[in-house]
Amino acid sequence: MKTASELKYGERVTISEIDLTHPSSRRILEVGFTPGEEIELMNSSIFNDPLAFAIRGTLIAIRKNEADCIIVS
Amino acid sequence: MNTSTLEHTPLIALVGPPNSGKTTLFNFLSGKNFKTANYPGATVEYSIAKVHKKHLLDAHLLDSPGIISLTPESPDEIVAVTSLYSHPKYGAPDLLIVTVDTSQITRHLLLVKQLIDAKFNIIVVLTMADLLNKKGYDVSVEKLSSELTCEVVKIDGRNGKGIDKLLQSVEKNLAHKKISAENPVMSINNHETDRLIELYKFIETLEEKVVVKYSKNGSSPKIEAANSKLVILNDNLVKTNGRKPGHRPDSLSVKIDKFLLHKMWGLVFFFIIMAITFTSIFWLAEPLMRLVDEGFALLSSSSAALLGNNWFSDLISNGIISGSGSVLVFVPQILILFLILGLLEDSGYLARGAMLVDKPLSKIGLNGRSFVPMISGFACAIPAIMATRTIPNRKERFLTIFILPLMSCSARLPVYALLIAFLLPAGKSWLAGSILALIYIFSISSSIIVAGIINKFRRNIIREEDNSSFILELPAYRKPKLGIVLNNTYNSAKVYVRRAGPIILVLSLVLWFLTYFPNYNPKIDASNLSKENIAQIQEAERLSGSYAASIGKIIQPVMTPLGMDWRVGVSLISTFAAREVFVSSLALIFKVTSDEESIQYSIIGAMRRAKIEETGEQLFTVSTVIGLIVFFIFALQCLSTVAVSKKETGGWRIPILQIILFSSTAYILSFITVNGLRALGIN
Repeated sequence: MKTASELKYGERVTISEIDLTHPSSRRILEVGFTPGEEIELMNSSIFNDPLAFAIRGTLIAIRKNEADCIIVS
Repeated sequence: MNTSTLEHTPLIALVGPPNSGKTTLFNFLSGKNFKTANYPGATVEYSIAKVHKKHLLDAHLLDSPGIISLTPESPDEIVAVTSLYSHPKYGAPDLLIVTVDTSQITRHLLLVKQLIDAKFNIIVVLTMADLLNKKGYDVSVEKLSSELTCEVVKIDGRNGKGIDKLLQSVEKNLAHKKISAENPVMSINNHETDRLIELYKFIETLEEKVVVKYSKNGSSPKIEAANSKLVILNDNLVKTNGRKPGHRPDSLSVKIDKFLLHKMWGLVFFFIIMAITFTSIFWLAEPLMRLVDEGFALLSSSSAALLGNNWFSDLISNGIISGSGSVLVFVPQILILFLILGLLEDSGYLARGAMLVDKPLSKIGLNGRSFVPMISGFACAIPAIMATRTIPNRKERFLTIFILPLMSCSARLPVYALLIAFLLPAGKSWLAGSILALIYIFSISSSIIVAGIINKFRRNIIREEDNSSFILELPAYRKPKLGIVLNNTYNSAKVYVRRAGPIILVLSLVLWFLTYFPNYNPKIDASNLSKENIAQIQEAERLSGSYAASIGKIIQPVMTPLGMDWRVGVSLISTFAAREVFVSSLALIFKVTSDEESIQYSIIGAMRRAKIEETGEQLFTVSTVIGLIVFFIFALQCLSTVAVSKKETGGWRIPILQIILFSSTAYILSFITVNGLRALGIN
């Protein structure tokens, strides 16, 4: 099982599931990270956290532990 | 709810996700005349305005903070969502105008769909279509309108094209609104994550129907050519490259971010941008400040000359003119800070700055979202404390509020400017700038240390625990809209002056009264003394018999360990209304006459002459002045900050802790500084 926090730059993957037990999962869904959507890691801050993903035509920065609740394939 | 009264002026609320062009539309519709102002960096309050007269539509317009969904998480989102159901002052809105960034259509339609499901009366406004057009696509207004079963209007935020069409739709909507319109449904099950996934699925099928291919040759007047623009995409086209139309971030922004969000260089660029921001505040503001200062000095001395030597003349020239001059002198700085912050926000960089500092800030219990409030704190702690509403986590929000008074606000600037000028010989402005930079770095470092310490003991001080989160959109870079930024800057500064001005003026008058009365004529042995000396001694005698002196002598024992006397003590007490009052208090207490070229130079002259009464020692020395600077870095001498802190944290705990902690730190550190410097032989 791979999560969005393990992506390399430029790697394009599809979200397969969102871990709904994570407290941020609702907001993650609301901003557009839904199963079936394609994401790509675009930038990361100096400490590798937060990470910025390309999703639905925009960039969204989320923390590494929040990226962990996005399960990709 | 007020729909039964026909005379009722309709209320239209603007709603939309952050970065959807809501504020631009608000400016177009209101003609830039709003009553409340939001400070740059974060829209956290609602603004209310009338639709501009030229639009011939009588309605109130409400702008509120951006929301992603109808389920609010942070206090600013709660403000926005509650105002949709029923605004505390204006009631329930008759119509919602929902802004949707066309290039972000799937994400932004989530809110639209939730609003429709909750049975709100809405009109959808599509903004920023040019961004999607650049990618070769467009959204069909007709199709979207029939799919959503509500009115849809496209507006060009660059020139306002489409506003007329929107106004027609609004008028039609308000006229046809059924009296017995259904009230919005309060609770829909949008908490459920399954429902969110379902909504997005619905929007995605909708998207395939409404997104069309865009070609540039739309300038042909022929209808055929116009129609040929709208070629419906078939499914194959939609699914090319596995990406849906336009689901690629803005390519220019991606290129810029290769530098500005570079893993290593990103932080370097961040520090460069921040350094430029702060140095330009001083560089750009300095000539303006000098202009204001000299103008008021001239006004004060000429009115004194005009009115002669009596109490009324003293009231006008020293009480009122110098008092208001000391307020207005720092307005240029606030204007420029607000302007630069507004430009940074509008360009899209502030969100990236927040991302860059999230990790280090989270180490000391703050959040990347604390970044914008902390920067605003350099203008004024009050809007900064309000701006913390964007932080969903209460613990992080309260900790941010706690340290904000340590950010060196612009009201401290005139004080530092005066004290630094006292320390340095004239003409060394670069040195003054460096000392000021040192003070800023020192105050930032102390706020970090304080946050770290409080965070360690937070269980005892801030009793809040919940999920810490950082989810922030990085909007596409764009050229800031200077007109709108300027307008917002002007409004913010106006609100600021209106709030601080009267307090400062009243306090100046009170202080003038206390130092001028009971104005008796002291008898002086005039032999061997020049006329000028006699006047000076008379002034000093008069002051030491004044009401201010009687009050001040009570606090003398507190001031003595710091090497200062009751006159500095009275000035320090007066700063609780506003810090910059210190400068005008000194001017009043030392009876500065504006015979020199500016108020500042006159005060410095008076400071150099001042002696401690009992001992005859020099009152202002290098050590006491540095001690005063240290005092100002820490002391929480601002009643408005305490009031806002109480309001925003919902209790007295935090403000009282702030007062105790910061004031005692200020006193102790300033004591150590003064006596340490003296021990080192620096007087």
